[in-house]
Amino acid sequence: MDALLDIKNITKSFGTEKVLDNVTFQLAEHEVLSVLGKSGSGKTTLLKILAGLEREDSGEITLSRKRMNDTLPNKRNIVYLYQEPLLFPHLNIEENVAFGLRIRKQPKEQITAKVAEMLEEIGLSEHARKMPHQLSGGQRQRVSFARALVINPKVLLLDEPFGALDSETRTQMQQLFKRVSAKYRLTSLFITHDLKEALIMGDHIGKIEKGVFKKYKSQEEFYNDETSGVRQEAEFWKQFNP
Amino acid sequence: MKKVLQILFALSIVFPIGFLVVLSLGRNWPYPEVLPQSLSLENWSFLQQSDSELWLTFLLSLLISIIVATATTALAFVTSKQLAQSKYRNKLMLLAYIPYVLSPVILAATLQFYFIYASLSGSVAGVLLAQFFIAYPFAVIILNNFWNRKIRSMEELSRTLGSSSWQTLKKVLIPVSKNALLLCFFQTFLISWFEFGLTNLIGVGSVQTLTVKVFSYVNEANIFYAALASCLLIAPPMILIWLNKKYIFATETVI
Repeated sequence: MDALLDIKNITKSFGTEKVLDNVTFQLAEHEVLSVLGKSGSGKTTLLKILAGLEREDSGEITLSRKRMNDTLPNKRNIVYLYQEPLLFPHLNIEENVAFGLRIRKQPKEQITAKVAEMLEEIGLSEHARKMPHQLSGGQRQRVSFARALVINPKVLLLDEPFGALDSETRTQMQQLFKRVSAKYRLTSLFITHDLKEALIMGDHIGKIEKGVFKKYKSQEEFYNDETSGVRQEAEFWKQFNP
Repeated sequence: MKKVLQILFALSIVFPIGFLVVLSLGRNWPYPEVLPQSLSLENWSFLQQSDSELWLTFLLSLLISIIVATATTALAFVTSKQLAQSKYRNKLMLLAYIPYVLSPVILAATLQFYFIYASLSGSVAGVLLAQFFIAYPFAVIILNNFWNRKIRSMEELSRTLGSSSWQTLKKVLIPVSKNALLLCFFQTFLISWFEFGLTNLIGVGSVQTLTVKVFSYVNEANIFYAALASCLLIAPPMILIWLNKKYIFATETVI
């Protein structure tokens, strides 16, 4: 399969601290890559560089065979979703979802139809006219997700999107993401520090540690990597069911 | 005790305003009478006399304050954003307080030479510029706290959703900062509206704002006209407080 996103030797330093060290990997079309990374590993910087919000010191970013390094964030069609939903507080749910379509000046009828379909998809049709503060944390995150999906991004970057949710809502969101991701054939980079979540969400798994990125060829390779932590996790759970 | 304190608080606010209105209606107030001997609307008819120029002074003050408040709010919005992203944020914010340490009059005295040199002394443009020097850092202080991490993330998200910098400003940043901008506008308006020392020094008597006029009536011992001009002086701030309460606090949005 051809690589949709091709990252070559991305390096970034803040002062004397090297945050990303020759990061190289490829993301195929419709692939969901889970990336495990602890705080300070460089994962957010990597996502911001891919989204065009931060400038790399060196390296090359290619999207659909087109060099992206000098392309503005609004021209990349790569949406970066934060841990917080960040709904625009002055817009209602419908308007929040329609934001990207209105920016693209799509016809009104088309916007209405797409927003209605997306709200239906995330199960929030009856909340269309509510303001963001009237929704729960999980519902807000769903709207944030719909707002990104509706513009049909080439790549979706998710920076620990369910990190602030309680475990039950988190599970629901994971299921929703899996379902929608398969339906819309999303290409995404899913950052998490949760091992289980990484395994559930990704078609492939990667790891970033102290700015060094590694993409595993298979789940077996990931399991067999001593440093991945997955074996220790499995051993921990085995002791309850020997 | 609680009730007494409440009454005392209310009186401390209402009494000066009430007394000002009474004085503006007063005629003949010989010592040692506690209140003027008669009340009439005669002082207020002074407003309609062609030689009073009080309305013109009122309108000039209003124009100066609106221009100062609008310009400082707009510029401080952009400045505070840049300062918030600077690694020298704290040091630069400390600088913003310096005009207050100097006091407006000292600042005017320091700058007066340059105003004379630039032929700005005694002109409306000079007064506008001088008031801008005072209101601008204050506006930056007010707006600085608005630029937090969440607003920055919202701005970035808007960019990745396809908005240009201009669209992000128009469709996200300005609507989200509406309350902070209004608050900043009101505060800088009030600074300009009540400014006396600096305006008097730079305006050198040629630019008669309402505050300057009140002091001039007081100096002439014309207490009734001074009260009348003071009533005009407190009207816009009272309207602003009402607007503030009705529209800003009532529509506070949750980010």
